[in-house]
Amino acid sequence: MNEIKKAAPIVFLAKVTKTFNDSVHPTTAVREVSLEATPGELVLLLGPSGSGKTTLLTLIAGLSEPSAGTILLYGKNINQFTADGLQRLRAKRIGFIFQTFLLIDSLTVRENVDVVLRFNGCKRAERNTKTQSLLQRLRIEHLADKFPGTLSQGEKQRVAIARAIANDAKLVIADEPTGSLETKQGIEIIRLLHSQAKEENKCVIVASHDLRLTEFADRILRMVDGVIMEEKAYSP
Amino acid sequence: MDMYAVRTLRGQPMRLALTIGGVSLCIVLMFFLLAVYRGAADGSVDYIRQNKADLWVLQKNASNILRGSSLVSAAQGEAISRIRGIQTVAPVLFLLQTIHKEGKVRTIFLAGFEPNKSLGGPPQLVSGRSVRADDEIVLDKSFAQKFGFGIGDEVDLQGHRLSVVGISRGTNAFVIQYAFVTIRFARTLIGFPGLTTCFLVETDKGADPEQIQEDIRRGLPGLEVYDHPTFLANNIHEMKSGFLPLLYTVAAIGAVVLTAILSLLLSVNILERRKDFAILKTLGSPFVFLWGMVVKQAVLIASASSLTALIIFFPLIQAVERISPEVSTKSSLGQVIGVVIIVEIMSLISSLFSIRRLHRIYFLEAFA
Repeated sequence: MNEIKKAAPIVFLAKVTKTFNDSVHPTTAVREVSLEATPGELVLLLGPSGSGKTTLLTLIAGLSEPSAGTILLYGKNINQFTADGLQRLRAKRIGFIFQTFLLIDSLTVRENVDVVLRFNGCKRAERNTKTQSLLQRLRIEHLADKFPGTLSQGEKQRVAIARAIANDAKLVIADEPTGSLETKQGIEIIRLLHSQAKEENKCVIVASHDLRLTEFADRILRMVDGVIMEEKAYSP
Repeated sequence: MDMYAVRTLRGQPMRLALTIGGVSLCIVLMFFLLAVYRGAADGSVDYIRQNKADLWVLQKNASNILRGSSLVSAAQGEAISRIRGIQTVAPVLFLLQTIHKEGKVRTIFLAGFEPNKSLGGPPQLVSGRSVRADDEIVLDKSFAQKFGFGIGDEVDLQGHRLSVVGISRGTNAFVIQYAFVTIRFARTLIGFPGLTTCFLVETDKGADPEQIQEDIRRGLPGLEVYDHPTFLANNIHEMKSGFLPLLYTVAAIGAVVLTAILSLLLSVNILERRKDFAILKTLGSPFVFLWGMVVKQAVLIASASSLTALIIFFPLIQAVERISPEVSTKSSLGQVIGVVIIVEIMSLISSLFSIRRLHRIYFLEAFA
């Protein structure tokens, strides 16, 4: 019998809990969440605001520490990384897309993409070539010297995607990537993320409450009050 | 990202201008204090420095003429002149005196000397000639400018009318200026004919100055004798001990204010851009990269302020010297470079204060 070989997971979470203790009453934002995500798949965390999606993303990216449970990133326990190690991991092996794009307004489009390559340790010539090629790929090379304040929402999101994939990371984390976009622009962005998973063999984890994304996801994890209530593979 | 540092600053032009203005004024203050110090330091001892005396003889335990008193007698001068190897002994009497003009009183440091001897008179004349008679006086240039005296004018000195015959340079000791009269006239002012402050001694060519000093000490135990470099050093030391603490205090206040202004601006910039910093941290920015941006901003402001201060400083000095001629200043390239280096160091220190704020910016702020 032929057995299909599954790729090793880039993200592995086992019974991860995150509790915030900064108030009189501790709040558990993520409760005993387990999941795996492998290269080539787009995983959608679907749930309403306050369901713990963003907190889960920050845990996956090593931006906050779990209160309980185990997180493996690229096969290594996240607790074994030093602060510098986590910084290097984010610079070289994770791409981020934020809800409101979060481009740096005082930098041009080119500089917004260039900065990630700089964190990655690329030399100037390599950075220039790579940035140019990314802007062309995302059809925004004509915006290279513009500032984010002058761009449309869709253009900003393209720049954000260019920045997220600039370091060729196998893991792309997107927090509400279509939250600020109109339907047409939203679909276009989802397609871009989907192509990253399928054509570039990346692991794309998207947190959203946008139901349009479900048809592009390989797996959908419904989150309510910090708990994954349901996990299913998408079947059209 | 080098541009990020510049653009962030340029984003608030008024705040940047005020900061550069404030820091520039602190730098101007430091330039000014240093220039005044150099001017006063040189002016205070120029009279001694330019004097051709090989030895200075004063009363026992007196070491300088700026902040010490010495009384010696004409008879002791005669005894010195009999010592082998001595060519000239010139008595000088220093007195603090007041000049009256238009109902106002001006204080001068009066040096009475013997006009027929080459020692003790004005070191440099910018106009006129030295005194020859008891009713003549030479005034310091800045004193004459400040109070409107010129060659041929009459000066009222304790009821005596003296004619201004010369204007001297190198005789401005900042807080007071020298004036020169004959020693005979100076003695009449105090009523003791043989009284002298010190003797200026010129030795014969080929004579051993150390032997002469030893002979004076042995023959006249009530006197102290110094060679020229030692006496100059004593006076410089006295001048510094009276002036430097004040200079350092004001300069230190200037440096603290400069650091505070700069720290404040950098901190406000960080707080205003904390989301940008949170994004950069999330994207994997090394801490040194963020730190570098703040340092670049600090250095940029310090450099722009130093340049502005230089543009302000030289016309300001000219204006001050016009208004107050007694404020004599001296500036050199070394001074300017020294102050700029201090300012750059202070800017680095101020960036260190601000950088602490970067630690309090959290990744999760990027997701808020």
